[in-house]
Amino acid sequence: MPATHPGRWLLAGILLTLLLLGLGLRVGSYATDYAFIIKTLRHYDPTDPAQLVLVQLRLPRLLLAWLAGASLALSGYLLQTLVTNPLADPYLLGTASGASLGAIVAYLFFPALTLSGLYLPPLAALAGGLLATVLVVAIGSRRGRVLPAPLLLGGVAVGALAAALGSLITFLKADQGNLQVVVFWAFGSFERASWAVLGYPAAVLAGSLALLIFLQKDLNILLLGEERAQALGLPVARLRWLLLALVAALTGGVVALCGPVGFVGLVVPHLTRGLLGTAGRANLAFCAVLGGGFLLACDLLARLLYPPAGLPVGLVTALLGVPFFVSLLRKTS
Amino acid sequence: MRVSLYLPLGLLGLLACQPENKPTTAPATMQVHDDLGRALTLPAHPRRVLALAPSLTETLYAVADTATIIARTQVDDYPAAVLRKPLVNSYPLDMERLVALHPDVVFTIEGITPPDAAARLGQLGIPVYYQKYRRVADVLRGINDIGRLLGRPAQAKRLTDSLQAQLNGLAKPVPGAARPTVLALASADPIYVYGQNTLFTDEIRLAGGQNAVRDTFPQPFPALTREYVLKMNPEVLLGGRFGKLDSTFFKNNPELRRTRAYQTRRVYATTPNLLQRPSPRIVEAVRELQALLRK
Repeated sequence: MPATHPGRWLLAGILLTLLLLGLGLRVGSYATDYAFIIKTLRHYDPTDPAQLVLVQLRLPRLLLAWLAGASLALSGYLLQTLVTNPLADPYLLGTASGASLGAIVAYLFFPALTLSGLYLPPLAALAGGLLATVLVVAIGSRRGRVLPAPLLLGGVAVGALAAALGSLITFLKADQGNLQVVVFWAFGSFERASWAVLGYPAAVLAGSLALLIFLQKDLNILLLGEERAQALGLPVARLRWLLLALVAALTGGVVALCGPVGFVGLVVPHLTRGLLGTAGRANLAFCAVLGGGFLLACDLLARLLYPPAGLPVGLVTALLGVPFFVSLLRKTS
Repeated sequence: MRVSLYLPLGLLGLLACQPENKPTTAPATMQVHDDLGRALTLPAHPRRVLALAPSLTETLYAVADTATIIARTQVDDYPAAVLRKPLVNSYPLDMERLVALHPDVVFTIEGITPPDAAARLGQLGIPVYYQKYRRVADVLRGINDIGRLLGRPAQAKRLTDSLQAQLNGLAKPVPGAARPTVLALASADPIYVYGQNTLFTDEIRLAGGQNAVRDTFPQPFPALTREYVLKMNPEVLLGGRFGKLDSTFFKNNPELRRTRAYQTRRVYATTPNLLQRPSPRIVEAVRELQALLRK
């Protein structure tokens, strides 16, 4: 399919997502066939444990995986546009390392994992991620303008600092029992999914996509470089702030709920541009759909290979993503 | 690189050994194999011993001459007298401190001390003796092994005979009655549990129940999904008091409130550092499990 048919690619991505959702609904400890799935979706009976599992556990898990993939892919796309650097990924702003630090503090300093009735790990991860993001943005901006190079370097520096602090705390505080918990949090997982937590990532993703579709042309102009974008009348500074805010909101929620899932935000934007061109009009939507599908596929594979909990999804994204990414790089170069 | 790392440690070990090790006759040694099948040369009468696992420190206190126990690790807390011993860090292993203490033998458990650390200690002349257990009987056998190695077989046998008698004296499950399925949490978030291939399986069997985890996973403490836990539908859950888990574990995983354990409020805490330790207190652990099952 040539790049001039973005609609077909988008349709293919949506169909792939639906196929993966269908397959994903079948995988789990309870044996469920499609007749049972259809029956459950039509007449849900929460007193049947298998139906409860299907509706309350499997479906939210798949939706969270999709939302996480879509949000991270979109964030990666936006950041690569913002800093005009193809190496940027959603964690460039320090969100992942800050969130990991927050989670480590929660796990190692609060063994009960609650404070005044609040469940700490996701809150601490969100707080850590946002703090790191604020710090990186402060480093990367001068007099209200976001500068790509300092932002990039600030992200690397804050990421390294948060990782070092996390390692220091782990070294001083962890024993063999809780070390495993900290390490596994850092691999990422969708096991905490529930209908109650899906609202935030869904609302942020839908809001971001709606806003960005209006700004698609501006984003393409930004890719031409700051000077040319300004010469063409684009409010570059304002646009960059908006993109930063969207990336922080998209990534922060995902990391707080799922842990830092790597590689999807780097691979999928590249694949999107490879298939649809650098400035295609369906790029943003396709990138989100493809990112969601990619994480759905990774989660499905992880659970099929290593039931019941599955391999850490972050490992699968890297194992699948890296060879694919390298072959893509070789083709495009 | 490896040689350059070993040399300073080796020299340190030699220097540390000199003041107290001035044998007048060649020391008698014995050749033994540990539970991992590793061949070791031990002094015939070890006078300086330590354990890198808290359960083995408890065993040493129960079997050895306590004056021969030269150190404790940061996790040792039982018996209280152990806190008066010098500290050596077991995680991460403080190799230099351990070498400076020049023990005759170091006892540890499979999975606690990395094999490469044991190999390095072996190169420095410190034999590391591993034990491993799958059943409660293995723990009793391990106590007797340590007794023999330390020249105190009678003390060890007295202890294990007593432990065996206590085990034999435990009330037997009613023949034909179903054994309750028990899930023991090792971590509540993410959910890690005591797997089929842990000592817990035998402990809970002796207590009259059965490990709710029937599948055998490669890891002793596998991660589980909520779906898997719901399918198991354990009758008893161990890992914390009902009230505490209700406001944490079950609050975060409300679906698991459907399990029989939650419905019947058979959710219990166990004494800290008892169930996890394959020590002479293992019968105490089995007795506690039995008491919980009878609640």
